[in-house]
Amino acid sequence: MSKKFSNLLRGYVIRPKASISISGLGGFKSFLKEKSRTFFVIAFLTPFLAALTIMYGLPCALSVLMSFTDMGLSFELHFLNPLLKNYYTIFHVADPRVPVVAQTTILYVGCTLLINAGFSLVLGVLTAYCIRNENVASVLRLLWFLPRMTPVIIYALLWLWFTDPTYGPLSIVSSWIGLKGVRWLLDKPYSQLLMILVNGYIGASWGMVIYVSSIKTIPLEIIYAAKADGATDWDVIRRIILPLLKWPILFVTSWQTLSLLGSYVEILAIWDGYSYTSGVEVWSLFTYHTAFEGYRFGYSAALAIIMATIALILVAIYFKVFGFKRMLEPSRIEV
Amino acid sequence: MVRVKLEHLTKRFGKVVAVNDLNLEIKDGEFMALLGPSGCGKTTTMLMIAGIYKPTKGHVYFNDVCVDDLPPKDRNVGMVFQSYALYPHMKVFDNIAFPLKLKKLPKDEIREKVKKVADFLEIGHLLDRKPAQLSGGQMQRVALARALVKEPDIFLMDEPLSNLDAKLRVVMRAEIKRLQKRLGITTIYVTHDQVEAMTMADRIAVLREGILQQCAVPDELYLKPRNMFVGGFIGSPPMNFLDCSLVEENHEHYLDLGVFKLWIPPDIADLIMKNASGSELVFGIRPEDLKVTLTLPPEAKEAGQKSKIQAIRSEIYVLEPLGKDVIINTKLGDTLVKVVAPPTIRPSVGETIWLNFDLDKMHVFDKKTELAVI
Amino acid sequence: MRTAEGYRKLIWKAKIRWLIGNIIVYSIVCIPLVPIILMYGWLIAQAFSGVCISSLIPQKLTLDNFYFLTGPIYWGGTPLYKSYWPLVRNTLLLALGTTGLVVAITSLAGYAISRFEFKGRDPLLKSVVVVHSIPGVLFLIALMYVLNTIGLYGKGFLTLLSVIIIKAGLESPMYTWMLKGFFDSVPWELEWAALVDGCSRFAAWRKVVMPLIFPGIAAVSIFAFLSGWGEYLLVLTYITDRKWYTLSLALSELTYQFKHVDYGMLAAFSLLYLLPAMVFFLLTQKYLMTMRIVAYKG
Repeated sequence: MSKKFSNLLRGYVIRPKASISISGLGGFKSFLKEKSRTFFVIAFLTPFLAALTIMYGLPCALSVLMSFTDMGLSFELHFLNPLLKNYYTIFHVADPRVPVVAQTTILYVGCTLLINAGFSLVLGVLTAYCIRNENVASVLRLLWFLPRMTPVIIYALLWLWFTDPTYGPLSIVSSWIGLKGVRWLLDKPYSQLLMILVNGYIGASWGMVIYVSSIKTIPLEIIYAAKADGATDWDVIRRIILPLLKWPILFVTSWQTLSLLGSYVEILAIWDGYSYTSGVEVWSLFTYHTAFEGYRFGYSAALAIIMATIALILVAIYFKVFGFKRMLEPSRIEV
Repeated sequence: MVRVKLEHLTKRFGKVVAVNDLNLEIKDGEFMALLGPSGCGKTTTMLMIAGIYKPTKGHVYFNDVCVDDLPPKDRNVGMVFQSYALYPHMKVFDNIAFPLKLKKLPKDEIREKVKKVADFLEIGHLLDRKPAQLSGGQMQRVALARALVKEPDIFLMDEPLSNLDAKLRVVMRAEIKRLQKRLGITTIYVTHDQVEAMTMADRIAVLREGILQQCAVPDELYLKPRNMFVGGFIGSPPMNFLDCSLVEENHEHYLDLGVFKLWIPPDIADLIMKNASGSELVFGIRPEDLKVTLTLPPEAKEAGQKSKIQAIRSEIYVLEPLGKDVIINTKLGDTLVKVVAPPTIRPSVGETIWLNFDLDKMHVFDKKTELAVI
Repeated sequence: MRTAEGYRKLIWKAKIRWLIGNIIVYSIVCIPLVPIILMYGWLIAQAFSGVCISSLIPQKLTLDNFYFLTGPIYWGGTPLYKSYWPLVRNTLLLALGTTGLVVAITSLAGYAISRFEFKGRDPLLKSVVVVHSIPGVLFLIALMYVLNTIGLYGKGFLTLLSVIIIKAGLESPMYTWMLKGFFDSVPWELEWAALVDGCSRFAAWRKVVMPLIFPGIAAVSIFAFLSGWGEYLLVLTYITDRKWYTLSLALSELTYQFKHVDYGMLAAFSLLYLLPAMVFFLLTQKYLMTMRIVAYKG
């Protein structure tokens, strides 16, 4: 390059720099800062957003599509005519199993909720307030946590033994009280009672923890004041603790309802193929069986979409009732 | 009305001894203050009287009946806490009515009693509000109302004025005292503020690390403190302490304070020699008992000479003007001594003044045991 | 009420009430625990018993039930599992892989969500709550299609890898939520000081904030590991190659074959499967219990 030309070029490079005024320089710097900040945010969030899209967003969209097909083992997206044929089948009760499954699900959610939201409240209050020795209370809470912390297949084995017709304590004890010959796993309504208990043991600890942490935020002096005012322990529970737990109770109930709608692993692990005949086939399990044992992916997608829709409606209601802030801190006491 | 007796009362939390062998008697209708720094066991004692804590050792007596196993709800105590402990989910009316509702009184009676107490404490217009909508002073009155409405035998208050601003505190001090005098309820008042205790109580029990230091009427605590802790705790600014020892020279006794010597009469010297455990002593004099003069006054003699009032010269270190007094800080040797002087004396820093010690007002303590020797 | 007699009556009543109260409280809390204690106690007792037992008392003490540690497990004449140890390896892979991935994703995302005010932050948080409420079976079905289409279904190790990724992806939103709380509690001034001292944003995150978040990371790791260790549904649904079964899948198959027949071996197998998780959990539980467990899906 000739010297003249390079000087010319240098002039072009230098001059723009020199022509940036002081204030402009500041503006340029903050522009860079903004850009780097955005870049930073995006970089940090990318894996998370990828997970959200691929694991959640994509399957949702796919499921909707699949529900309009009669997809089977061939995994072909062969759209149905009419598109909503799967849904008609479900709602017009063309599949006789659907109403049975629906009933089972309502029974399951309703009754297990009593344990997961109700009995867990009892456990929470008793271990956080009534039992004064903190060491004893922690040990008891830990024991209640065992089912939740156990791998589900081991938990299933334990119950299989427990209800074993020959070796299981439950069968032995029930024969003493006149229920001889009852097959706890297979005979309704015993199997259904079992289904509720099995899930109850797991669900109780979650609510219990939330309630315990809520109760522990109640200032001790309020309890002292109540006692000096003439309250027995029962009065304190009824008039002070429970009213203050209003929002946590509502939160646990709401969230457990949602959670129970989608839970089925324990039932699957224990009952496996016998779940329908034992009357413990809940909607999610029915969906699973339809997909992975019946290989009817399209139909099962429709079943799943229906359940998802119900769940989304519930979540929308919860957002309205609780407001987003309260959902972030379920244990917080407020008046 | 109820007499309270605490006998060998001890409370242990694990390894920590919060209250150690406390023996105290509170007369019927008396206003007794439990005074001491934080962590001295005063709140724990109060909670044991209320029945919320069970004593590890010892007993609590109401009218000579042992109530150790009596639950709080049967003790008929009214409690006011530092944080007021109002029930946040109830309106003011329900807060005050709570003790009565628990007793299952008829609704009309409850309404009547609540209204009476609320009017008495001038919060009748707040009955529909919730605690979150009240100011500190209002919350305190609600707490008082709730404690009063059940006509308790004993009134227990745990630093109820600590969370109020200074002005309100002074007003409420007088209010509570007046209230107590009018209703005549046996009251136990826990505080760390000696001004509160001195102005309000009939008797004060001074506690330190769970041990009772002295229990007496305010004047006695002020004039005749039993040990260095009480001497230093009561009175503001606190008592000046100077190390000293008893010496004898030419058949006369002196207190050697290092920088100077003070002559003491033989009867006081005898008392010191009888009560002290060794020769190491601590000389105590209150700032308000020291007189500051610019020249040696006629009734005083220089320190070391036979006189009731002895004075030494000292240089002013710092001045703290308070308007109604001025606190003069001077250094005697290594010790900073504070003197309260009337505002008419206007010395300046660096100036030399005469510190006048009146032997009638002095306190001598044993350095090892910290007990008062005279 | 102020007479000595009155006080004595009240004390007597109070003592009775205390006794009855305690009986009721402990009954309610402990009686339902009896089956649980029975079951877990049985697991230990049965593992060392030569016959099937119905109580906590072991009979015919033996170590034979643990034969699978050194030899194949037979059913009929055919070996169901040639060796125990690949199962352990696979389970560990799943557990550790999920944990590593989860910690990576959530520590980055939790920080960003906690620290930065960006457009779409609230909707993002809300969407986490929303997707978490959709029944899981929906994702299982759709992801089956995805796996099949990509060609990762039934491909042995690759399928296991996919399971790891899927599991990490599904659990990340919840753990991000947890970690966000921890990030929120770190005072902003600390990073500001680091930035003023010349750190880049990334270095500030790495050197200043992350060490303080350690309890949170530890909690997330513990939960993720335990979750991966016990994972059953995903492996059941997606993994078909026996060489890549995990302990949970193997146990499920063995239970199906051997229940009513050989509880001893099943108990021994389960005990060894359970023990690491239980020990791990017990060692860290005090740590975990103090944390605000907002949404641990059971």
